[in-house]
Amino acid sequence: MERRAEHHQKLAAAAFAAAGVLLLAAALGSCCVGKYPISLEEIWRILTGGAVKDMTRNAFFTLRLSRTAMAVLSGAGLGLAGAVYQIIFKNPLASPDIIGIASGANLGAAVAIVAVSGTMASVAVGAFAGGLLAVAMVMLLVHATRSLSTSTYVLAGIIISAVANALIMALKYCADSDSELAAIEYWTMGSLAAVTAEKVRTILPFWVLGFGGLLLFRRQVGLLSLNEEECRMLGVRLRPIRRTILTLSTLLVASVVSVTGLISFTGLIAPHIARVILRRQNTQTMVLSALVGAVVLLAADILARSLYAAELPLSILTTVIGVPVLLWFLCRRGGDAA
Amino acid sequence: MTPLLSVEHLTGGYGRRTVVRDVSFTVERGELCALLGLNGCGKSTLLKSVCGLLPIREGRCAVDGEDCTHLHERQRALRMAYIPQRATPIAGRTVLDVVLMGFNARLHLFETPGRGRRQLAAETLGQLGLADMAELDYAELSEGQKQLVILARTLVQDAPVMLMDEPDSALDFVNRNMVLERIRSILKSQNRGGLITLHDPNFALAYCDRLLLMKDGAIIGQVAPGEIAPEEIGAALSLIYGPVRVLRHPGGFVMVRAAAEER
Repeated sequence: MERRAEHHQKLAAAAFAAAGVLLLAAALGSCCVGKYPISLEEIWRILTGGAVKDMTRNAFFTLRLSRTAMAVLSGAGLGLAGAVYQIIFKNPLASPDIIGIASGANLGAAVAIVAVSGTMASVAVGAFAGGLLAVAMVMLLVHATRSLSTSTYVLAGIIISAVANALIMALKYCADSDSELAAIEYWTMGSLAAVTAEKVRTILPFWVLGFGGLLLFRRQVGLLSLNEEECRMLGVRLRPIRRTILTLSTLLVASVVSVTGLISFTGLIAPHIARVILRRQNTQTMVLSALVGAVVLLAADILARSLYAAELPLSILTTVIGVPVLLWFLCRRGGDAA
Repeated sequence: MTPLLSVEHLTGGYGRRTVVRDVSFTVERGELCALLGLNGCGKSTLLKSVCGLLPIREGRCAVDGEDCTHLHERQRALRMAYIPQRATPIAGRTVLDVVLMGFNARLHLFETPGRGRRQLAAETLGQLGLADMAELDYAELSEGQKQLVILARTLVQDAPVMLMDEPDSALDFVNRNMVLERIRSILKSQNRGGLITLHDPNFALAYCDRLLLMKDGAIIGQVAPGEIAPEEIGAALSLIYGPVRVLRHPGGFVMVRAAAEER
C-alpha cells in the first residue's frame, strides 16, 4: 500500500512538473512568435529593464503579453470546467456545452452582430449574457420538473441548445450574407487575434471567481459524482450545491468564450489527457486538466499565427493538436493495461 | 425514554403509487433490527422513506424525538447514515478517498479531511480487513470488497441511526458473518441503532435483536429471537416465508423449510 501511494505521488509530481515546464515553454513561445517576431533575448531585456526598440516593447506589451495571458486563461478555464462537468455529469463526453452554454453564447453573439452594433464589445457582452441566460433557462427548466437527477440537466441542456440553434438559424437567414453571416460563422471558430489587455482585465474578475470557486468546491464536485441518493445521504445539499457549481463553471466558461468565440475540443480533451496520465479522477485531475488545457491552447494559438499568412481559426488547431495527443495517451494506456 | 428512531404511521411510495402503508416501529439505542420480507414487499421503499429520500405522505419519523421530515440533507446526515442496495460505480478514486466522503456532513463547506480523520478512515478500513487496500483504485475491487468500503464510509459518518439496505448482498459466507458481527458490535459499543434489510433470515436470527416482518407494504409482526420459543419464531416467520421450521442449535436458531408432509 505504501509503495503504491508513493508510486502515485511520484507520478503526479512528474506529471505536474512536466505540465509546468511545457506551460512555461509554450507561454514563452507564444510571446515570441507572430508577424513581428520577438527573440527570447529581447524578452529577457524587456523583463530586466534592458534596452530594446520601442517597437519591440510595444508589440510585447500591447499584443503578445495579453494574447498569451488570454490563451492561458482560456485553456485553463476550459480545461477545469471540462473536468468538473465530466465528474458531475458522470459522463466522459460531457463538456461545457452540455448544459447549453455554448449555444447560448453563440446566440448572444449572433444577436449582437445582427441586431445590435456588432462591435467587438457588444459581441463579447452578448456572448457572455447569452451563455449565462441559457444556463439560467436550463436551471429554471430543471426546477420546474422538480427532478433531482443530473440527466434532467442534460435533457434541459439539449432543449435549450435546440431552441438557441433554431434562433441562430433564423438570425443567419436574416443576416446580411456578406458581412454579418461571415462574422457569425467566424465567431464560432474561435480566435485570440482580437485580444487586448483591456478585454483580459474586464473578464479577469469573472474568471477568477469561477476558477477559484470551483477549486474551493473541489470536495463537493467529487461528491456529486455519486448518484443523487448517496450524495444526499452523505449530507450534500444537492440543489444549492449543484446550482452553485454550475453557476461558477458557467461564469468561467462565459468569461473565456465572450473574448475568444467558441473553442472546440479543449474542454473535452484536456480532462481526458489529465485522467489518462494520473489514472485518477479527483482534485489533482481537475488542476492538471487546467494546465493541459492551457498548454493545448497556447500551442494551438502559436500555430494559428505561424502556419499561414493569415491567421487560422483556433478551433481547427485545438482539434488538430488535441486528437493525436489523446490517441497517443489512450494507446499507451492500452499497452500498460495488457 | 424516547426511542432512538421512531417511525409512526408512515405511508409513502413512488409518485402516486403507495408502497408502504401505515408502518410504525421503533429502534432503540444499541439495537440491531432486521427488516425481513420477500422481494418487492416494500423494504427498500420503507428505508428510503425513513431516510427522507422519498417523500413521506403521512405519518412521521423522528430521531431522538426530533421530527426529521423537514431537515435538509446535511442535518439529516448527522442523524442517520444509509447504505444503498447498489452503490454508485466510482472510477478513479482511491479506496481511502471513498471512505473520506463519509466525513462530509461534519466538515465545513471548503474543508478537507485532516490527518486525524484520514487516520480514522484508515483504521476503519483495517477493522474490516481492508488495511492494505487504502491506496488502490476503488473500481479495481471486487463487489464484496466495495461493499465493505461503503460500510466503512457509513461507519465514519458517525450517525446515531444506521439504515442498511442489504449491505451483505455481495459478500461471501465468511465476510457476511464478519460484517454482521462488526455492525452489531459497533452498534452496541457506540450505542447506535441499526435497521438492516437481509435476504437470509438465518443471518437475521443470528445477529439481530429484533426482526420486523414486512409483507405487502405493512409490518405484520415482530420477533425477538432471544425471548420466545423456536416454535413461536417459526410460526411468525411462516407468515412471510410459507411453511418453515425454526430449530434451536447451540449457537442460536436456524430456519429451514418444513418437510414435505408438514406443508
